[in-house]
Amino acid sequence: MADNDSRSGVVTGPGSTALVGSEFAEVAASVDHAGNGPRLRLEDLRSGRVRFLDALELESIIWLPEGHLRQLLDPSSDRWREDG
Amino acid sequence: MTATVPRAGTDRPDYTRLIQPDRVHGSLYTDPRIFTEELERIWYRTWVYVGHESEVPQPGDYVRKNIGPQDLVLTRDREGQVHLLVNRCAHRANLVCEDESGNSNSFRCPYHGWTYRNTGELLGYPYNKGYGGKGKLDLAMGRVPRVESYRGFVFGSFAADGPSLAEHLGEAAGEIDRLCRLAPEGEIELSAGWLKHRTRANWKLLAENETDGYHPQFVHGSIFSVTGSPIGALYSDRSTAVTRNLGHGHSENDLRPEFRKFGEPMRWFGTTEDRVPEYAAAMRALHGDAADEILVEGAPHVMIFPNLFIAEIQVFVIQPLSAGECVQHSTAVQLKGAPELNRRMVSQSVGSVGPAGMLLADDTEMYERNQRGAEQLRPEWLDIRRGLERERVDERGLTIGTATDETGMRGFWSHYKTLMEDQT
Repeated sequence: MADNDSRSGVVTGPGSTALVGSEFAEVAASVDHAGNGPRLRLEDLRSGRVRFLDALELESIIWLPEGHLRQLLDPSSDRWREDG
Repeated sequence: MTATVPRAGTDRPDYTRLIQPDRVHGSLYTDPRIFTEELERIWYRTWVYVGHESEVPQPGDYVRKNIGPQDLVLTRDREGQVHLLVNRCAHRANLVCEDESGNSNSFRCPYHGWTYRNTGELLGYPYNKGYGGKGKLDLAMGRVPRVESYRGFVFGSFAADGPSLAEHLGEAAGEIDRLCRLAPEGEIELSAGWLKHRTRANWKLLAENETDGYHPQFVHGSIFSVTGSPIGALYSDRSTAVTRNLGHGHSENDLRPEFRKFGEPMRWFGTTEDRVPEYAAAMRALHGDAADEILVEGAPHVMIFPNLFIAEIQVFVIQPLSAGECVQHSTAVQLKGAPELNRRMVSQSVGSVGPAGMLLADDTEMYERNQRGAEQLRPEWLDIRRGLERERVDERGLTIGTATDETGMRGFWSHYKTLMEDQT
């Protein structure tokens, strides 16, 4: 049954996890309500690593210039680096 | 088959001897050396049909495609531009994409994690100190040097220079136009999914057969009799249909004279207007008085050199793999804005070229028997003279024969010979 959170305007169903996958990566996305406000829960299904993103962080991603996103996609940018 | 005799003074096959106006040598279908030369002079040089823009409708969409044995990825970038990449990592040559299709703006090679934009640009590689840091490598996925579209049909050429796509298509472009004008929105889509038939035959046997009007009454006699189809009669000596050499190796069976004779809208599709009322109404609203002609004349039956065959309601793509093996890719045409007709196109295609279909299975049986026959020693030649003496030039200046003449084959071989003898 849908849970209409009138304070935030977020409409979600309990346990409604969306899967965004390709041959290159698989990520489970759901809205987490454990805190005082909703946040997006992202799980890298290949490593099990989880990251939460709040509304402001998500908005920032939407506004991220294309060039910044490309830098993040460089495997040695953050994840696979000698000093990581 | 007997070994190919090299031309005097060279170690190359003598195509002038092997390709004559009324016959072609059997080794053209069986000699691996000739196949290697075809890859170099045809498949990796001229324009080859690759895919349709409708197969990558959204930014980030990609599909695996091919030019002969070359594994390609057709992509659409964030700006909407279509790219044709060679599916090979610039590091250790691993295949970068594995899935037949997907949506991803970037691709990560599974071998060492090298990551590319869907334009082919290298975005980075893991543990960059081994290369002196970030962005130190001037490498990218391979790109097909020339990519052009016509009415959504995407063609690629591995040659950086050469005739334009418009020059290559020539008169065949009008046949693509004729297909598109059948769509209420003026465009077609290839979105119904692809069937692949691995075929143990040389690719040219297929290309020649596509506009051979001599075989349907024999090879397809059973489907015509079971379905009561009037198509068989189109390919008889009494038929007013013509086989046309469109130039540049392209050819068609122009069935319009027969359809005009009957003057019945949708007869070309084996139905009547009242069975597809929404489609007919949309076309009449769009074209007014001109709709009658469009609905009577129907879709083209055209072989576009070297690998695209538009057979009225289906599209076939021929992919050669070796002298004796190829893959036939087939799908149903979908006319934009015609859901009523599109459903029928899919079911008719399933019936004709599906796994239990009754048309392609018959043709493929002939292709494979033909290949085995061509491997036999005597006689050495395949005959292509049918109708040679009754050919004429039409009002467009194009050579035409009767519905059952081998005019299309002769056009194919004439162009093939030009490409294979090219000294550049």
